Amino acid sequence: MKSTKIKMTVLAAAASVAMSWLSAPVASAQDAAAAPEVAPADRDWAEYKAITTCAWCHGPQGRSISPIYPALAGQKAWYILEQLQAFKAQTRRDPYAMGMMWGMAAQLTETQMIALADYFSKQSPPFASKPSPFSGSKAAAAIQVGRGIYNDGIAAKGVPPCSACHQADAAGNDQFPRLAGQHALYTQKQLIALHGGSREQVVMNGVAAPLERPDMNAVALYLESLH
Amino acid sequence: MARLNWLQLNAGFRRLGALALVMFGITCALPAQALPLFARQTGMACLACHTVYPELTHFGRMFKLNGYQLDNGKDLQMITDEGKQILALPAIPNLALFVMTSYTQLGKALPDGSIPGARSLKDGGFQFPQQVSLLWGGKIAPHFGAFAQVTYDDASDTFNIDNTDLRFADVVVLPNKTPLTYGMSINNNPTVEDPWNTTPAFGFPYVPPEIFVPSLASPLINAGTAYQVAGPVFYALWNEQAYAAFGVYHYARNGDNSPGNPITGGPAPLDSATGYGGFPQVAANWNPYWRLAYEYDYDRYTFMLGTYGSYFKLSPGGAIGAPLQGATNNYTDIAEDFQIQFIGEKNTATFKGTYVKEAQALNAYAAAGVSNNTDWLSYLSTDFTYWYMRRYGFTVGYLSTQGSTDPLQYPSAPTTLATSTGSPYPVGVTNSAVSNPGTSAYVGELLWAPWLNVKIDLQYISYTKFNGGKDNYDGCAGVCASGGRNASNNNTLYLLMWFAL
Repeated sequence: MKSTKIKMTVLAAAASVAMSWLSAPVASAQDAAAAPEVAPADRDWAEYKAITTCAWCHGPQGRSISPIYPALAGQKAWYILEQLQAFKAQTRRDPYAMGMMWGMAAQLTETQMIALADYFSKQSPPFASKPSPFSGSKAAAAIQVGRGIYNDGIAAKGVPPCSACHQADAAGNDQFPRLAGQHALYTQKQLIALHGGSREQVVMNGVAAPLERPDMNAVALYLESLH
Repeated sequence: MARLNWLQLNAGFRRLGALALVMFGITCALPAQALPLFARQTGMACLACHTVYPELTHFGRMFKLNGYQLDNGKDLQMITDEGKQILALPAIPNLALFVMTSYTQLGKALPDGSIPGARSLKDGGFQFPQQVSLLWGGKIAPHFGAFAQVTYDDASDTFNIDNTDLRFADVVVLPNKTPLTYGMSINNNPTVEDPWNTTPAFGFPYVPPEIFVPSLASPLINAGTAYQVAGPVFYALWNEQAYAAFGVYHYARNGDNSPGNPITGGPAPLDSATGYGGFPQVAANWNPYWRLAYEYDYDRYTFMLGTYGSYFKLSPGGAIGAPLQGATNNYTDIAEDFQIQFIGEKNTATFKGTYVKEAQALNAYAAAGVSNNTDWLSYLSTDFTYWYMRRYGFTVGYLSTQGSTDPLQYPSAPTTLATSTGSPYPVGVTNSAVSNPGTSAYVGELLWAPWLNVKIDLQYISYTKFNGGKDNYDGCAGVCASGGRNASNNNTLYLLMWFAL
């Protein structure tokens, strides 16, 4: 571990020197998605960290058990990287981001973040989602409502169809994150944060603004049911 | 926490106290902790590791078992010419403070001087402060961490070494991609290494009142050897689920101000004709402790089932004026525990409990004619705690100690104190008219945490039975100073304010 850490420090230092010399802009998230070059040592480091630390909340191979924490398995690498950067920069300000991830991301290097994002993106996405046995039959009805909102939006409120960006199967792409299979509670919490503005994302702040709690709940349950 | 000064008591009471190493009664539990220093080290809010401190979440348990070394801050570093890292020290000082202050009101005033430590506080009082602790620990170096506490305690008016846990920990990834955490904790109180809040060192009730009437007995594993022993506990945790620990504890002075070895002046107790000072009994050689637990996580729930225990041989020493050799009193404690924890967005709730059964083979005491050959004790603690938004909460709990009747170990005669004129003064209160330690109480708490690091606890303890009886349990009616004390007279109203900074 130590030697890996040192190697990475050296790599990161070399990279930053090279970049400043070339006055090259820092690789954007999209670039990373296009070419996720992760050295084997960094890949090993990321796997070790993911299993021995990230898993405390995000579960084995990024399939979190508690819905308070998002499943990361199968999420787009560029999106995970962008979030890690936002945690480190303290620009993503929803409660758990602030209380937990600001700390966890504080000392991560760009190389480490890329490696972690790469690792989680390559894990098989979460579960054929089970309606939680605690949510009851109301959930089935809400899932149907959620499917409608996801595919068709809510015309009366000016809410566009989610599927227009996040894809019909909610698997995401190079511009929009994966939503399928995500814990309903987590998705709902993010919609609340995007609605209220504590999580800033210019497009989604607008989309979530007219959403009401039952809408959020329904969409979130629908997304959880996808796999 | 309070260490009573046994030397101030007359011989009879001293023996009685001695036998019940933990005179602190069923409310005995040691203060448990939440450390702002960990928050500073990890850059994370308290709620990562705690529902509300001191109760740990799954993340908190992982943090502890991984040696308190998760570190998201800047480190001071040093490497050798070969590139080997030889220092990775957190740049911020790993320090924190606890400040607790409390007000306690007993159901009925005590006779003058009947409780050591009660001083003139006949029916309660203000503890200002109840306790001030300096905490240090966190990451010492990669793989090494600590959780340690030096406490000023108002009841005993001393600074002492409190729960202290010095750790090595590492984690390997098994071929099937599951983590195996392993390590060693050197600590000074059996169960300090354990990460659930069902075991005695960090169990309910977390910070009991210090002004209270001590019941006669409590199993030894309930802090009976706290800060009088130390030892290594080796442990492993598989896949964040299955936990096993085994350790051995040896006598350790922990800075106690009792007399040292009369020959060398050093701290270790050796045979002494007058017995060994402040501690009524002294752990003989190495004493084993073990722990097994399994945690299953589902949705927002965690379920834990476990078992733990210890086998301690104690030399009675000063308790009966015997040398620290020969026959020992042997205590076998076997316990089961469970915890169900729910952590939601707004609501958190925890239901947990433990049941301890203790077999006592009192070889030394029986030979000296001060106890039965064998006795037993059982202890049940269970509580349910609910928090809304981690701000407003309540607890309902039940605590019960049962045990065998032993007229020698628990004399029925009213407790007496020496007076300035030298004549014994019968006061009662702490004895049992039926020579039985049975004591049961309900505990209710209203909790308010206006900030994650400020906690206010209004607690009421209601005894249904005390030292084997309900009314006139000390048999003092018409006989001595207490006038016949009832279990309900010991009911306690307790208001605690706890700062962590």
